[in-house]
Amino acid sequence: MESEPFHRSTPNLRLVNYPSMSETWCEIPPDESPAGTCEYCGQPYPTQNRLILHKGVEHLQQLDADEQDAFTATYSDEEAELRTFRLKALGVLVLLYFGFLITYVIVT
Amino acid sequence: MSSSPNTETKPDSPTEDRTTSTLIGRCVDRCTASIRGAFLLQFGLWLTAILLFTETVAAANGVALANASRDPLDIPQWLYISTGGATVGASALLATFVTDRVYIRSLHTWSLSRFTVENRWQTIGWIGRWCGVCLLVLAVYVGFTGPQLPNASLTVLLTFVGIRAVLPMVAYLGGNLWPAINPWRALVSKFPTGIRTYPEQVERWPAVAGLLLLVWVEVVFPVSTIPRVLSMVIIGYTAVTIVGAVLFGSDPWFTNADPLSVLFRFYGAVAPIQRDSEGISVKLPGSELTDSDLITDTSDVAFVVALVWELTYSGFITTQAGASTIEAFVGLLSYGGVQARAIIVYTVLLVSGYIVFFGAYWYAGTVTRRLTGTYLSARLIAFRFAPPLAAIAAGYHLAHYTGLAVSLGPALGMALSSPLSPPANPLTLSPPGWFNALSIAFVLVGHLLAIWTAHGTAYELFSSRLVAIRSQYPYILVMIGYTVISLWILSLPGALPPYLS
Repeated sequence: MESEPFHRSTPNLRLVNYPSMSETWCEIPPDESPAGTCEYCGQPYPTQNRLILHKGVEHLQQLDADEQDAFTATYSDEEAELRTFRLKALGVLVLLYFGFLITYVIVT
Repeated sequence: MSSSPNTETKPDSPTEDRTTSTLIGRCVDRCTASIRGAFLLQFGLWLTAILLFTETVAAANGVALANASRDPLDIPQWLYISTGGATVGASALLATFVTDRVYIRSLHTWSLSRFTVENRWQTIGWIGRWCGVCLLVLAVYVGFTGPQLPNASLTVLLTFVGIRAVLPMVAYLGGNLWPAINPWRALVSKFPTGIRTYPEQVERWPAVAGLLLLVWVEVVFPVSTIPRVLSMVIIGYTAVTIVGAVLFGSDPWFTNADPLSVLFRFYGAVAPIQRDSEGISVKLPGSELTDSDLITDTSDVAFVVALVWELTYSGFITTQAGASTIEAFVGLLSYGGVQARAIIVYTVLLVSGYIVFFGAYWYAGTVTRRLTGTYLSARLIAFRFAPPLAAIAAGYHLAHYTGLAVSLGPALGMALSSPLSPPANPLTLSPPGWFNALSIAFVLVGHLLAIWTAHGTAYELFSSRLVAIRSQYPYILVMIGYTVISLWILSLPGALPPYLS
């Protein structure tokens, strides 16, 4: 699967519309400090990569050229990891399929 | 820190729309191949499951109403159950191949021509609800005066075939009709309502308690066998509803506290036909479940889990294994009469099993949080992943009640055509053997829909695709657990719940 860097207009997180907006939907563990906080919506993130991905997905229009480049790079890196993941998943599926096939042959 | 998640929306300019649509087009092309592969594999798995289990397993029927004898399995039980679990697991793995945010989003927001009914809604609702009132009055009257035979009584047939079996099916397969036919809403409209304000902090907890209470009444009292008892229960329900709605106002009561209305709202969320303030639209089944407005409180999560649990529970106690479990527990208790001990055992089983189901689900939210290292609270995660459980409940419901609806459907028709003097021996169909295989398919389809909507939700919650995938693992395990339990129940030979004659 070719790596398409990103899409222009992705939907916002729809965490809104909860009746009690005063409630905190983010909890940072006491022994951790966030790697960064989104300057557009104030959401904290545990790693820099996740913050970059969040900004690219949710606030793409507001990013400057450098930030957009950072997003493209992080997105492509993730694509590579995803490819590895897909291979592993395919492996598990093949194992499952043949595992069950053989079991059925033996049992019935 | 208090971070109310981002609320801004970006106005899309026409050029961006074009860019988006070409991008969506490209994404669709890219994903179609993998989707097609995924569907082919899923189809293959289902077909294998259905072919293998044809005429081997029968559905659990509603409590004590009708009790089909279930044939033993042709293959070892462990293999049958693990195949079901593996089908759900494999589908979850297949879903992870779809990583395109725009494509997932486009599927979940796809909808067909909206048409408005708002100007006619009042009239439709008025006619529907007052027809409902006529049926309610007739059912209660016939329950007292008509024949005390469950299969011939309009009261029993209307309640169990109509409201317990068919109406939820209509709600999740088509659309939620309940608001348009709810007789209690019509009755309440004749009273002055809203003497006090509904206490907001109790949210939907009264509905959760009400649902569990209804299930308890269904199990403990002979409501499905003696029409007179059922009529009294209906009168009780009517009294509570009218008092509640008069006290707290019609809308707050039916939105928050009335178990039937809340039940139909959640089942209706699975349906392809949806009605909102703008009118009626047709969507892909389950796409409404990714909507963040559906679950806004812990009590909503509790209600959806209760939907899954009550079907598992009533399925379990109508099996031989369930009956012997209850007999064993009743034997352990030494005080009181057998009947009283049996009621205690049934109640404890209902409540403790529910707590286990709810706990398992809630714990999955905590595990997800740990697994992904996200700062989103476990509560929010649990809220957002709860709607797919409604799809699971719908699958269970279809599996458990299709046989009942088909076999007693004609009897309901006969009772409706002559409610005061129904035929004593109405036509009762016995569904063909392949119906049993259908119920397994229904359970699996419900789970697959749940897996797919949970996948969509994960992509809305997490910007990183790998994190979105990882966030689903605990829920997939919980769903495999639920599948295994319900397939196991479907494979057990049926029995009448003991001590409840």
